[in-house]
Amino acid sequence: MATLLQKIVERGHYKFVDSVDSWQEAVKLSTESMVKTGYVSEDYYQQIVDCITKYGPYVVYDHYVAMPHSQEGADGAKKTSVGFMLVKQDVDFGKDEDGEQKIARLFFTLAAVDPDEHLDNMQQLMGIFTNEPLLDALLEARTPEDILAAEAKYPPAEEI
Amino acid sequence: MAKMDNKKFMVCCANGAGSSLMMKMTLQKVLKKHNINPATLHHCALAEGKSAAPQYDVVFCARNFANTFEDAKKKGTVVLGLRNIMSEQEMEKAMREADLLDG
Repeated sequence: MATLLQKIVERGHYKFVDSVDSWQEAVKLSTESMVKTGYVSEDYYQQIVDCITKYGPYVVYDHYVAMPHSQEGADGAKKTSVGFMLVKQDVDFGKDEDGEQKIARLFFTLAAVDPDEHLDNMQQLMGIFTNEPLLDALLEARTPEDILAAEAKYPPAEEI
Repeated sequence: MAKMDNKKFMVCCANGAGSSLMMKMTLQKVLKKHNINPATLHHCALAEGKSAAPQYDVVFCARNFANTFEDAKKKGTVVLGLRNIMSEQEMEKAMREADLLDG
């Protein structure tokens, strides 16, 4: 079985960007690879932006990781997948309610349609997000081959 | 028997598809570690969670959503807001402070 990162590379669901003007632009760009393959609609990003605008930057976690998403079965999501994007420069999502500055560079954007596949994706993402050496290596990735090499070097722990 | 055995747990995020699933996995690890067998472990979106929360013993959410559950708190539900939804340590600390863990 292909791992999540292998599926991301096989499907072409990745993007490498130097910098963006706003977190909204980052969210839009992070869906672009999945728009091209028909996994999400062109306006899917807007649903995510609306959600972050409403609830705050809670989709930004530690270690420069963001997981932009809308709800399961959202209009704009056509097929289940995860889109990867690396931005070389910090993307500022502003402060959360506790005044903590939320910064992201690694984007894992969710499209959730099939509950089982989505759950499997989430379990694998959990393994990635808690694997700091892998995240560090992904921050240095510049090509899809780098993504695969990072995973081979720092495989996520098999658990849960 | 652990004191949290057979209690009803809920994890909640804005959409019920992303962060809440992550938090559910963190909670499953913590419960397993402490040999706690929950009666239910439900994850859902805030819209559902807000009205359903009073039926649960413990509700977990990202800390920015904790004030959504004031009604449930008044009815005795323990509401724990977490900064890092993937941190077992933070979850254990919050549970210990709320006197939910043995020892």
